Amino acid sequence: MVKKYTSMAYAKADDMLFGNSKFPVKAGLGLEIGAGYTTPELNYAPRPQAGKSKEKLVKEYERITTDAMARMVQIGAPSIVLETEHVEQMSNNPDWGGAVAHAQKTIMEEYHDEYGIKCALRHTIGDIREDRDYLQLRGDKYSTFMEAFEQCAQNGADLLSVESMGGKEVFDYSILRNDTAGILFGIGVLGSMDMEMVWSDIADIAKKNGVVAAGDTDCAQANTAMFIAGGLLDKNLAHTTAIVARAISAGRSLCAYESGATGPGKDCGYENTIIKSIAGVPIAQEGKTSTCAHSDLMGNLTMQCCDLWSNESVEYHGEFGGTTVQCWSETLAYDCAMMNTSLKLGKAKDLRDILTLSDKYRDPQGYVLAYDNAYKVGQAIAKNGSNNYLRAKAAAIECCKIVEEGINSGKLRLTRFETNALAKVKADLEALTDDADKFMSDNLTKFKQEVAVFKTENYGL
Amino acid sequence: MLDFKLEDIDGILVRYNVALEKEMTPDEAAEELYPKDELIYPIAKAIYEGEEDDVVDALKAAIDAGKKPIDLINDALMVGMGVVSQLYDEGIIFLPNVMMSADAMLNGIDYCKTQTTEVPEPKGKVVCHVAEGDVHDIGKNIVAALLRAAGYDVTDLGRDVPVDEVIAAVVKEKPILLTGTALMTTTMYAFKEINDKLLEKGIKLPFACGGGAVNQDFVAQYDLGVYGEEASDAVKIADAIVASGDDIEKLREEFHKH
Repeated sequence: MVKKYTSMAYAKADDMLFGNSKFPVKAGLGLEIGAGYTTPELNYAPRPQAGKSKEKLVKEYERITTDAMARMVQIGAPSIVLETEHVEQMSNNPDWGGAVAHAQKTIMEEYHDEYGIKCALRHTIGDIREDRDYLQLRGDKYSTFMEAFEQCAQNGADLLSVESMGGKEVFDYSILRNDTAGILFGIGVLGSMDMEMVWSDIADIAKKNGVVAAGDTDCAQANTAMFIAGGLLDKNLAHTTAIVARAISAGRSLCAYESGATGPGKDCGYENTIIKSIAGVPIAQEGKTSTCAHSDLMGNLTMQCCDLWSNESVEYHGEFGGTTVQCWSETLAYDCAMMNTSLKLGKAKDLRDILTLSDKYRDPQGYVLAYDNAYKVGQAIAKNGSNNYLRAKAAAIECCKIVEEGINSGKLRLTRFETNALAKVKADLEALTDDADKFMSDNLTKFKQEVAVFKTENYGL
Repeated sequence: MLDFKLEDIDGILVRYNVALEKEMTPDEAAEELYPKDELIYPIAKAIYEGEEDDVVDALKAAIDAGKKPIDLINDALMVGMGVVSQLYDEGIIFLPNVMMSADAMLNGIDYCKTQTTEVPEPKGKVVCHVAEGDVHDIGKNIVAALLRAAGYDVTDLGRDVPVDEVIAAVVKEKPILLTGTALMTTTMYAFKEINDKLLEKGIKLPFACGGGAVNQDFVAQYDLGVYGEEASDAVKIADAIVASGDDIEKLREEFHKH
């Protein structure tokens, strides 16, 4: 039984700041995350052909690691985290992932020994618990999945993460049909149940190997919603619906910390400011420096409380300024230098507010994730913290309330489509039961009928 | 925390979507497009509203009144879906509305098939898949639903599909178009392998690729590749093939936007 968060780590929203977390985390080679400074976290993807063999893949990551570390010392960056998000070949063959981690860490150790640069290696294992037709969260692949964590932890990874998939089969069906209960059930209930299982085991592996269980993100669901929602002119999904999915996701991602993770949370967890307000853990974030990977309408705002600042992902190839990992790590490092300078000058809260305000009214997603409003969503979760369903529902309702307040202030201006979608979600939420058992029972019945790939045994039901 | 005055915001951002929003509500816009035939109108309206039961009830009424089930597929169900597609293309309704309408339309087609022995004529056959090693299929599911809603016969191979299985399906089904989606860089390399194996067999058909990390530069590297930036591009590519043939260079001229 995991211990649930029922109170806030911070007494007030204004206490939250980039580069500072209530519970900093020591990791890797001389690095401390959330201990008064921010650090760039570089993420990259190998070129398409590199996945053909283990040798090619290891070589690719050696090039990536050397390029990035070399650029960091060339520009005098004091610290760096490298994040290797596994390609499927590495997670399905744990020895491949282990070999990549070993090769990368060997290079990072050389740079640390020679220059003293503080650094750590995050490996994000792919959630491979699927077969062709179904999610198979508890089936044969679970042992391979855990072995991938073990191999990476033994061979040099300092931070263990994953972008887990629990609840995605119901979510995917529901988000394309504006089914609010289904979104809540997929993320807040099924996803949370899976998180508690997965992260208890990852935390055990991390503890055994003396590394850090760093946390998860609801990328598979909340980021899917954000990606489908797109820009201001896109009509694929209401942004008001997407932010409700995001608010729900905070309770899900929080389960990692309730199960033993200590952070830093994953960069693409846009719910991380909410989580930081509750758990006080350091967080990674991405925004304007991740436009190489996607557009998100809150490029500056997400920097507000970050401890690691990430570029999300970039394919390794050449640019005029060097390889992509050199270019993007350099940009990240200058962003961090700006934040760290403001911390030294005692101007950090002003910079935080400028970053937040520059995007706060751009979109309902940024509006709710602005640290003052994110804190309110955190309070709704903590108040109902002991029950995954009730806290997800409370977060969603608080989210709707915050957006409505924004609209009423005149500062958050939305289209009629967006406000109509908000009204629908709000009405759906208000019609939901407060009885968690009934909600579970009703939705199990419904989605077993409607979603062919939904298997209850994945969740031990 | 610091905050703006209301009047300061316009200098920071311009909300073009609010300024451009059409006066007409989606329901009013749909009303203007529905066919006027009193038997067809309720079918088209029920499809727009995504109400599966209402679609079947309206089909029953039309059949009872003498309409042929096979004709209702093209003359009512496809027409209703056409209203939905047009409103989506014009940015008046959202994708979830299209998906719910597609569900309702396909349900209606299934019902019509139970009422006749005649076989409906699809616009063409399309094979869809997610690249080997990749289990992320929401994009492919949207592509398949939009293609079916547009009247195509879709063979959906699912996700994480081995290269040889894709080749076998193309040989067997003889589609006018193959689609592939992928999220990761190393899985999308399978697209090139599919391209090479199809060419080895002398099969030349447009291979529309898109999703996550897939970009136009990569897709343009292999002979059959046509890049689709949006899921709805798959329908437009298929329609272009039906209208003007499967010349890949011409398709690239039309759909390669960068």
